[in-house]
Amino acid sequence: MNLTGLRFPVIVPFMKCFRHRHAAGALVLVAASLLVGCAAPAPEQQPPPPADPPFRPVATIREVMNSVIDPSIDVVWNSVKTVIDNGTTDHAPAADEDWAEVRRHALIVSEAANLLMMHNRPVAPPGAPSLAPGVELTPEEIRALIDKNPEGWNFYVQQLQDSLKPALAAIDKKDSQALFDVGEKIDETCENCHSVFWYPNAVASSK
Amino acid sequence: MKTKIILVLLAAAALYAVQPAQAHHAFAAEYDVDKPVELKGILTKMEWVNPHGWIYMDVKQPDGTSKHWTVETSGPNQMSRRGLKKADFSDGMTLVVKGYQGKKDPELANGRTLVLPDGRSFYIGSVGGPNDGADR
Repeated sequence: MNLTGLRFPVIVPFMKCFRHRHAAGALVLVAASLLVGCAAPAPEQQPPPPADPPFRPVATIREVMNSVIDPSIDVVWNSVKTVIDNGTTDHAPAADEDWAEVRRHALIVSEAANLLMMHNRPVAPPGAPSLAPGVELTPEEIRALIDKNPEGWNFYVQQLQDSLKPALAAIDKKDSQALFDVGEKIDETCENCHSVFWYPNAVASSK
Repeated sequence: MKTKIILVLLAAAALYAVQPAQAHHAFAAEYDVDKPVELKGILTKMEWVNPHGWIYMDVKQPDGTSKHWTVETSGPNQMSRRGLKKADFSDGMTLVVKGYQGKKDPELANGRTLVLPDGRSFYIGSVGGPNDGADR
């Protein structure tokens, strides 16, 4: 094998330094391998695992319901109503401040839905009982249902958020009839979720 | 100013005192399907409001005394779709309500059917109630 006939003019003089041509041939192969190795793409770096979200739940789901969602949605529902009592009186927001107050509570419920979707929020304090033993599940049973079906849980919670959108639109238009009409849909989303996660057996037994 | 604040607080307290609990529970958590009731009485107040309407009525007892009942109904739009309108109510009218008694409050009921003085009858039951045929 005549190495002087190779097409690598830089390498050929270098190889002439070797007295043994087989050793020189092996060196060429090693060098070529190194060149090929350098040209290959580097293996992809694994992205670091996502950091835990910085949220720090303080209240339980039950407390968020009782302290944030219930009082605020009651303001939305009660803002438009008719009372028959020594005559008939229609109630609806009138002044700008009235509408602003209702909007504030509609927003509280909309955003509180995000609190419900935080996966590490307990349903109730450890050992807390069912609020209706024999009808509604215990907090541990509710937690198990949520953990078994987190997509379903988030779906229903987002349904609640979505049901508030027409309420906010009605408020922005100062349309009290539209706000009244959407009240039924909001309650429906509550019932849909509760019948799956809070009292699935009660629904079955009443049919 | 201080007097005004006290009056507002008293008014708010009075409002909450007469309003039944609003938390969302199963029908069977609040009402006893084994305790059906039939109430005939005088309407003292009706709240046409979401998510449920409320009927307040005085029901005369056999001994001549009167009991003040609170009856939960379905949502106002649900009642409207069945033909019952808020204009159908006036205080002082005589109503007949069939329903189920509350588990904790013996003068609270969940209404199933309502009969107006003109004889028209309407289903006023809430979602999740017993399958008793009242909605047919």
